[in-house]
Amino acid sequence: MMTDEQSKSAKAARRVWLGGVVAAGGWRNRAAAGLLVLDSVAAIGFAAGLAFGLTSLPQGLRATLPWLVLGLASAWLRGACAGLAARVGAGAARRAKARLRDRIVRATLALPLGTGPTTGALMTAAVDNVETLDGYVARFLPARGAMIGSAPILLAAALASPIAAGILAGTMVPFILVMILAGGAAADEAARQFTALTRLGALFADRIRMLPLVLVFQAEAAETARLAVAADDLRRRTMAVLRIAFLSSAGLEFFAALSVALVAVYAGFNLLGLLPGFVTEHLDLGRAFFVLALAPEFYAPLRRLAATYHDRQAAETVADGLRTIEAAAPVPGTIAPLLPGPPRIRFEQVTVRYAGEDRPALAGLDLDVAPGQIVALLGPSGAGKTTALNLLLGLAPLSQGEVTIDGARLSDLGVITGSIAWMGQVPTIMPGSIADNIGLARPGATMEEIAAVADKAGLGPLLSARGLDTLLDERGSGLSGGERQRIALARALLKPAPVLLLDEPTAHVDEAAEDALIAAIADAARGRTTLIATHSARLASIADTIIRLEAA
Amino acid sequence: MTSPLRTLIAAERQRQRGGLALAALCAAAVTTSSVLLLGLSGWFITGAALAGLAGPVAASAFNFMLPAVGIRLLAIVRTGGRYAERVVGHDAALRALARLRPALFRAILAAPPATALAMTVGDASMRMVQDVDAVEARFVRRSTPWAAAAAVAAGMALLVPAGTAAAGATLGLVGLVGLTILAAWSLSALGREQGRAVQQANAKLKQEYATLAAAAAELRAYGLGDWAAGRIAEHGAGLLDAQARATAWGGWSALLQGLAPGAAAIAALALSVQTTLPLAALAALGAAMTLEGLAGFIRGFEVRGSLAESEARLEAALAVPPPAAPAVSVMRHPPRIILADPAAVLSPGMIVGLTGPSGSGKTTLLERLVGLRSHGGGRIELGGLDIAGFTLALLRQCFAYAPQDAALLAGTVRDNLLLACPRGEEDAMLWQALQDAALDDRVRALPDGLDSWVGENGARLSGGERRRLGLARAYLRPAPWLLLDEPTAGLDAATEALVVSRLRARLSRLGQGALIVSHRAPPLTICDRVLSLGAGQSHDAMRNRGACGT
Repeated sequence: MMTDEQSKSAKAARRVWLGGVVAAGGWRNRAAAGLLVLDSVAAIGFAAGLAFGLTSLPQGLRATLPWLVLGLASAWLRGACAGLAARVGAGAARRAKARLRDRIVRATLALPLGTGPTTGALMTAAVDNVETLDGYVARFLPARGAMIGSAPILLAAALASPIAAGILAGTMVPFILVMILAGGAAADEAARQFTALTRLGALFADRIRMLPLVLVFQAEAAETARLAVAADDLRRRTMAVLRIAFLSSAGLEFFAALSVALVAVYAGFNLLGLLPGFVTEHLDLGRAFFVLALAPEFYAPLRRLAATYHDRQAAETVADGLRTIEAAAPVPGTIAPLLPGPPRIRFEQVTVRYAGEDRPALAGLDLDVAPGQIVALLGPSGAGKTTALNLLLGLAPLSQGEVTIDGARLSDLGVITGSIAWMGQVPTIMPGSIADNIGLARPGATMEEIAAVADKAGLGPLLSARGLDTLLDERGSGLSGGERQRIALARALLKPAPVLLLDEPTAHVDEAAEDALIAAIADAARGRTTLIATHSARLASIADTIIRLEAA
Repeated sequence: MTSPLRTLIAAERQRQRGGLALAALCAAAVTTSSVLLLGLSGWFITGAALAGLAGPVAASAFNFMLPAVGIRLLAIVRTGGRYAERVVGHDAALRALARLRPALFRAILAAPPATALAMTVGDASMRMVQDVDAVEARFVRRSTPWAAAAAVAAGMALLVPAGTAAAGATLGLVGLVGLTILAAWSLSALGREQGRAVQQANAKLKQEYATLAAAAAELRAYGLGDWAAGRIAEHGAGLLDAQARATAWGGWSALLQGLAPGAAAIAALALSVQTTLPLAALAALGAAMTLEGLAGFIRGFEVRGSLAESEARLEAALAVPPPAAPAVSVMRHPPRIILADPAAVLSPGMIVGLTGPSGSGKTTLLERLVGLRSHGGGRIELGGLDIAGFTLALLRQCFAYAPQDAALLAGTVRDNLLLACPRGEEDAMLWQALQDAALDDRVRALPDGLDSWVGENGARLSGGERRRLGLARAYLRPAPWLLLDEPTAGLDAATEALVVSRLRARLSRLGQGALIVSHRAPPLTICDRVLSLGAGQSHDAMRNRGACGT
């Protein structure tokens, strides 16, 4: 539960952040608001045309005509302003969204593994939540800026009938009170609704990813029920938000209608001469009608703003989430220069403990790898072999101890991934051809180089059957575990880096092919400082040193 | 033949018909009272002006009570009506959506495996969240035609006494607005295309992002962060372009909404030259409000494009083709497996190993057995019948499966284990399964034990731990046959030996048969038979169970 202090500073921070996002829209923000103010001014012209056209009606069409023309021209202007404001507002929103999306994407791509929100939630954030700001920039901000449009209307009304203007202004006070009260209540509900929406999206994305297993375990009914619960939760939250939003807009409508009614009744009684003596104002039809025609327009800017209220609530809730994501992203470190040759890597009493974990993932590791040496890390799963490799990649936090590369501390060097060729436990396949997937390691590699490296990695049988141009989907279906691993090895071979990190490279490969793979790995490791995390004694046999890790 | 989506929507409409009817009634009341409010006000003022000018006697004779009260009443009716319409309308719509989402999920699960598995994560998320949201318009907007009709009716009721010319003009303008919308509609075969383009761009963007986010580690290793962000930005620009094209009509719609009422008022006024002043005032303001009553209707068209596209996508997802061939739904239990390639007869309770070079079809065989794949390989018989004729439900009943990639839910250890027992299970059984998978100590060491969060796809656990959790999950499913794909890959020798011996103990304890794919030797030592799949050559080697110890 946040204290008042905290929530105030949170609100201020959010305002600043939103301001930064919106600024990308540039001059368009102000232009859209300006157009809407012009719309209000045109309304005055229309009211005048209508009122004085009416009063000059008995004198025949010729007398009325100029007023009718004024009225029609004003109507045209109003339409044009509304249309242009919509276009310009949309343009501002487009720019703001593009900038923000880029910021969020860069931030989320740098998040370390195993921490923070799921991919589904991040996707919702980067695409849908950024989209939510569209209404905020395109509609809410111009509407808010155009609120001052009520002022010229009030002035014009005051010119015709100060008392009627006073009535209009008077009804506004209780209205604003109602808006403020409803606004506070709505914010809480909006936050809860947003959580439910995110949860639903993430749940669904996760279960779709797991689809084969849901089918195989015949858990369809259970998982559908779980989704139904989440969907119903979303419904209730959304309804709660909407109820409050509608209540505040009902308040607005009430006061708007009331103001028209009061002005009409006042004007009528005034014209009838039935008002008490202290009312010194005497209206004629023209002025009375003018004021009556203006009355709805007085509230129009406020009604327009109220119609965008939901956009604002949604944006504010989303802003908090997006801000948190941006803040959680690690600050990009300085990029270290490429290492000139295979370095000497030392781990001194290195301990890695992830945030929120009791057990350290790696405890007190000591390691000394001479340049060009191959070191195998053996140990039970959970002993931290992968973590040791992730440390060099900058994907794991260094809690204690020191890692030095050629004598320089890793924390001083910064990001050394430019000098690392790496192959993980589970390679990621991108939708694209096999050649594309391998060629990621070194953009600009020629097909011959890719083919050579693919051959070295043992992809020969696959390629002769299907070719380098075979398209793969994101699940890599159609490839066996061993084949996928070989594509990852080909990637590692393609990049000419002085450090080679391999994480269980032969885990999914049968014994017969393992030998060929081991030979390829030994070949690739020549002239590179190599760290291999593995269980295979045969693979470890190519290493100069074998380090056994114990579980912490 | 109506599409499944339309059937679902129609069913929901029927379900919510009370609420929707009420919403429509309220909407009609709102527009009617708007028209009457302003019209009456205009008439009142003008009448009062004339009466006032005519002298105090006429003034006091002027019946002001009725109009004054009427005006206030109309104001209240309008406000209350708006609130009721929105609350009731949205409530009905949201209830329908909350039922549409599980129906969609169910349909995706019931689709043939090839279709279901071909759906990308980005696509699926888009459909469940955004497309279903778009369908809300189908419910909420249903009251706008009623509101528009009521506005026109009320307008005519006011205007006809004012003079047929004014009434005719207003009607003419309504017609003009209608024609404009019709033109835009046929152009919005273009609007629908644009909406389709937006949805496609959105799906592509999400898919691209999901793919690249999943590869974050790899992107870091190969310094592809900027490249990835750039690719996503490209797709993002595509989406923004499509959106700009789709919202172009919104500008015109705003123009129409701004211009129409004003033009109507001026026209009505011009045509009321011959009538009395109060009636002229009534005509002008009444005409304006009539056209304003159409505003909701006009706005409804702005979302037509994206609505049509969302519905098309949902329809595609909901279309479940009828099951093929006559389905077998009963079979002798426990079933014998007869394979054609490699030729083998596997009796219930046997432990069979499956080896072969990668790519030789071991995983394919397992996938066929659990109905994830329908082709690829020789004939398979289960309980004496060809599995090609089996319903998927019957087929899957016979097997518990632990696949090679051990996919885990983003949830707790318990959530993951309970996937295998949808009807729930005692903790004791869960711990037993964990022990059999040699994972119980690790789970006990976790801060919340069974309720510890494992991260997305088990990211908080190491590779070996994920694999063992997948094993424990498969163990929990009571089935005559256990299918294991590389159960000990990525485990060190000691853990591997433990898993293998406990597996063997479990299998003999439960009398369960097992088919174990492994390229590693230790799991094969507990097998009664080992089948070898090779390039063309298939043979099986009998292994002496006794020689492997008890």
